[in-house]
Amino acid sequence: MNKTFYKTSSTIAGVLMLLASVTACGSNSSSGSSAPSSGSPSASATASAQPSNQAAAKAPVKIKYLTFRVGTHASAKLEAEQIKQFNEKYGKEIEVQVEEIPSDSAYEDKIKILAASGDIPDVVMGKNGINDILIKGNLATPFNDYLSQDPEWAKEIGDEALAANTRDGKVWSISDQKQTVGYFYNKEMFDKAGIKPAQTWDEFMSNNEKLKSAGFVPLALMTGENAWTTNLILASIVGTSGEAGNKFMNTLHPSDFNTPEMIDALGKVKTMLEKYTTKDAIGAGYANAANNFCQAKAAIIANGPWMIGDFSDTTKCAAGFDQKVGIAAFPGNGMISSYEVGYMNGGKTQETRDAAEKFIRFKTGLEGQRIALEFGNVVPVSDQVQPSDELKQKYPLLVESIQVGNQSQVHYGSFDSIVYPNVSDAWKLLYPELVYNKSTAEEIAKKLSEIAAKNK
Amino acid sequence: MINYKGYITLFLVPTIALFMLVYAVSLVILFGTSFTEWSTGLKPMFVGFRNYIQMFSDDASFKEGFWNTTVWVLLQSTVHVLIGVVFAIILNMKEFYWKFARTVFMFPNIISGAAVGMLFLCMLNPNFGAVNSIARLFGHSDYAQNWFMDYATAFLSVTMTWLPYAAVVTILILAEIAAIPDSLFESARIDGASELKINLFIVIPMLRNIIGTCVILAGTSMLQKMDIIMMTTGGGPGNTTLNLPMYIYKTAMMENNFGYSNSVGVFLIGFGIVFVLLARYLFRIGSSEV
Repeated sequence: MNKTFYKTSSTIAGVLMLLASVTACGSNSSSGSSAPSSGSPSASATASAQPSNQAAAKAPVKIKYLTFRVGTHASAKLEAEQIKQFNEKYGKEIEVQVEEIPSDSAYEDKIKILAASGDIPDVVMGKNGINDILIKGNLATPFNDYLSQDPEWAKEIGDEALAANTRDGKVWSISDQKQTVGYFYNKEMFDKAGIKPAQTWDEFMSNNEKLKSAGFVPLALMTGENAWTTNLILASIVGTSGEAGNKFMNTLHPSDFNTPEMIDALGKVKTMLEKYTTKDAIGAGYANAANNFCQAKAAIIANGPWMIGDFSDTTKCAAGFDQKVGIAAFPGNGMISSYEVGYMNGGKTQETRDAAEKFIRFKTGLEGQRIALEFGNVVPVSDQVQPSDELKQKYPLLVESIQVGNQSQVHYGSFDSIVYPNVSDAWKLLYPELVYNKSTAEEIAKKLSEIAAKNK
Repeated sequence: MINYKGYITLFLVPTIALFMLVYAVSLVILFGTSFTEWSTGLKPMFVGFRNYIQMFSDDASFKEGFWNTTVWVLLQSTVHVLIGVVFAIILNMKEFYWKFARTVFMFPNIISGAAVGMLFLCMLNPNFGAVNSIARLFGHSDYAQNWFMDYATAFLSVTMTWLPYAAVVTILILAEIAAIPDSLFESARIDGASELKINLFIVIPMLRNIIGTCVILAGTSMLQKMDIIMMTTGGGPGNTTLNLPMYIYKTAMMENNFGYSNSVGVFLIGFGIVFVLLARYLFRIGSSEV
């Protein structure tokens, strides 16, 4: 009797809870929602391109926005300023609920998990494969209708930037910045070694040898995290190696890494890691490499102009260090030049989609680009945005960087912008294999192809 | 006679509800989707045992991860527990230092895994790390061992970030020793038994149940270990320090292959259950016989 009672009551309680949980899981579709990809601007959104008094009378529309540009992140200042200025301008209409995620990888993981449950924020940065997941899952709204109704905004972003994020005619994200990456070098060390920025990769290697002979560590490399500073050089060797290599570095999601250009580049990078970098490069993170360059422990670091602010920041570099830094294009007059994936619209209702679009329009329009340039040394996507006199005076290296970018002739993407996320994650495991002679360059290239093939 | 049935049911409901919501539903989904091909954005597609067949026949990374996990489970359930037990027996002598030593030994266990990872990254940094700096003090001016990335030292370096810090085991053992009746010790001393003999033939046999529990706690903690590996080596160099939790994370989050990742998850749960049952059997946990 007792046993039957316990069994029955436990079973009933269990079934009820299971039903409740299943119902709860399935109840996230609100009455106002519709399929994201079918979204188009509402009348109010179209009208909102002009100032509207009506909107101010309504309760503000709440949109969720997660950001990793916080704390010590290089773009934290620009992010805070963009949000502040957006709130000043549109705060009565739209309330941006910002959630801070204190690292890029934590952000990516969180968005991927939210995407698995179909509950993404209204504004999403589509970096490192997030855009593919949202597109595949029909979780984002393309911007075509918004752009066609606001041609001025389309012009501010530019055709090239829009094309970079267009798939099958649909503009899935709006880029907020252009990556133009060469390398920074320590002019004092170069002078003492009697060298100038190299024109060819053979000269680059010879410069490394001369720097080493002069008692300096030539390169600030790192293979941990996404092997950023090392991979910028690897990408540049491939990207400037001729037509095939350049095509490879301009291909989205390359699947075959087993190419002569890639194998040759891996061989060169192996030599650099073995002979011309700091002892902690294998396994080190970006912070270690940046610190090695800023503390004058290495002569060269490949990185983008967002690092320029660090050179005059005395908490990161010695006072006056910014005067010692020069910038150059990679040998072969090559520069990494790609557009960031930028922002995607994940709004679930017409109201939040329109509000998200407005937020993205602010961040990626001329105003947003100007803030990004002034507060984060970020290269704008539009030629209409130029550095202010104050900025030019404060960061002459930024002006030099733009000039070097304009003079460069060979352009290509970074590995992070073209490969699948699992390939980006694999470098930190593969570089040690290469350097400790567990695998040859050919074997690493083969492994990269196998890893790319695993991506779903 | 008071009827407790209503109360018993009432008190059971929160536990059952929590279990259903947090674990049971997740486990059912995990098990169900392990037989599917499933990536974010797409609906799961039933593929039968394909994931499991691939896991055992054609996945070198899984095998390496499984091997490393097994070695770590074994080390943690033996060496780690042994360190904790020995330390507890030493502390139980109640010498003047015992409270200080117990507190200091606890420090690594109250620091978060991520912070411990950062700490070891700095201590073992080839350039400025304390370990290499000490070696340089002794005349090896160019000494620059890359502890976490060199194939020869990576596994050992990662293992040393958790293996010696057995304070939880020590605390549990100390509590159990305190519960042993004083009369037993007194009788042994009257019979002329030395402290060593008392520990070997009275204390340790009476700790069988708690040692078994510690073995289970320590061993299963290795089935969840990911934070420190993530912070230090990421599973590298190559797959030298890859374990199954790390592999599950990579398969799901980097390869977007949730179906396969869940099949590895099911395997890991099965592995944990087998380990717990084995430990219960070996230590006869629950039995009062000495």
